[in-house]
Amino acid sequence: MTLADSEIRIEVADRDRDPDPVIEPSSTVFEVADLSVYYGSFRAVRDVSVNVAEHEITAFIGPSGCGKTTVLRCFNRMNDLIDIARVEGRISYHGADLYDPAVEPVEVRRRIGMVFQKPNPFPKSIYDNVAFGPKVAGIKGDMDDIVEQSLRRAALWDEVKDRLRSSAMGLSGGQQQRLCIARAIAVDPEVLLMDEPCSALDPIATARIEDLMQEIKDRYTIIIVTHNMQQAARVSDRTAFFTTEVNEESDTRTGVLVEFDRTEQLFSNPADKRTENYITGRFG
Amino acid sequence: MPEIRKTFHQHLDEIKADILRLGAMVTERIPWGTDILLSGNLKGAEELIQGDDELDALYWDIEERCYKVLTLQQPMAGDMRSIVTAIRMNSEIERSGDLMVNVAKAARRIYGSEFDPKVRGLIQRMGEEARRLFRMAMDAYAENDEGKAAALNDMDDDLDTLQKDYIKAIFEAGTTERTDLQCVVQLALVGRYYERIGDHAVNIGERVHYMITGWLPEHAGAARVAVRNSLDSPPAAQEA
Repeated sequence: MTLADSEIRIEVADRDRDPDPVIEPSSTVFEVADLSVYYGSFRAVRDVSVNVAEHEITAFIGPSGCGKTTVLRCFNRMNDLIDIARVEGRISYHGADLYDPAVEPVEVRRRIGMVFQKPNPFPKSIYDNVAFGPKVAGIKGDMDDIVEQSLRRAALWDEVKDRLRSSAMGLSGGQQQRLCIARAIAVDPEVLLMDEPCSALDPIATARIEDLMQEIKDRYTIIIVTHNMQQAARVSDRTAFFTTEVNEESDTRTGVLVEFDRTEQLFSNPADKRTENYITGRFG
Repeated sequence: MPEIRKTFHQHLDEIKADILRLGAMVTERIPWGTDILLSGNLKGAEELIQGDDELDALYWDIEERCYKVLTLQQPMAGDMRSIVTAIRMNSEIERSGDLMVNVAKAARRIYGSEFDPKVRGLIQRMGEEARRLFRMAMDAYAENDEGKAAALNDMDDDLDTLQKDYIKAIFEAGTTERTDLQCVVQLALVGRYYERIGDHAVNIGERVHYMITGWLPEHAGAARVAVRNSLDSPPAAQEA
């Protein structure tokens, strides 16, 4: 199953949702304490503790295999979709345990949307792409309004308003990614998880997405995984740096959180030498 | 894992080496200029003044390379602090070189005048102290020595005291013998030039401290403004 498929399945399953009374608003959206993620017996990431603040952009950076995407996927329980994945530790969402059996994963994924590395519009019209989520989620209201608002918030409306019934597949890569953002925000989430959302885009399209993130952070809390350190520095309020450590006995690597700080601080005067070595290109 | 930005870091190292070269040129000019002044060496004064073009050329070359690195490499963390420090230090060093040019020009203007022996002695000592401070600032940079960088501020007090004694000595010499006014003014300015070189050395120390630790000097002026503003603003209750 592809990630796009899983997204569809979630939204279809969301038809009869009820608001979860356990989840209450607060200025800290996520509190992560001693989080470890296992694939079978292999521990992919260990002992991650971070707080994600409301209406901020939090960036996860680090080398390949450091577990940043694995951690990101924990925030909307995407790892539940992998049979052998197991989460230890605690992630609380507005004070409620995100992994409590009473919490409905489908509701979690509506409140916590995701934008993926590669733009993945459905092979449908631009309008239908945006309207799909609200329809299956049973959201009431004028669908034309919802579509227009979502496309406006994703800074795409002016470019597509005259061809809403055209195929989304005809859009450029950058437009497709903004369409995916419009699709994600059409179901009125609180949080947007972005997994390297610009890695398949050219610099101009990347700049538009970065600008868009700044524009929408008043409405959403954003967590972004990026390989591009300059992007993390440009867009985020706080940055978490992950790296890998070698497990000598099994010759495997486990991701570990090295440092989490205000972005300006982390990129100007990091506290940990490993962070300094990574962001200045000095390894070893 | 191997280092992955070798060329970039080589550029940073080259900039640092040239900052040190510029600093060494200025450090040499402090005793040289002092000798020129005390010996009335017009030929030496001319050489020192013309030689400043060499300093300026290196200064501009370093500055342009710093901008290039900033633009093309987008340095971060310690690399960012290193390049910002180089840009700031470059100006401090170049300005110190200009101050020694001023000393050489003063030597030309007061050529033929006799100085009071005490004034001569104090010029010698100010020159030595300015050179010591400047050398120490450059050593702190070369060796990434946070301690030396931090000590410069206190050490500069000696030069400040010497300069006060020097001005006093100029006044005392002026009251006891017939003195050329041009000479007195030039000598007073010379004291100021050495004192300013000490200040530049202290500034370099602060920049080096920042480069090593990320520490920035206390913004004393900004703090005073904040206090004044808080005193000027009437409490909310009074406004009501």
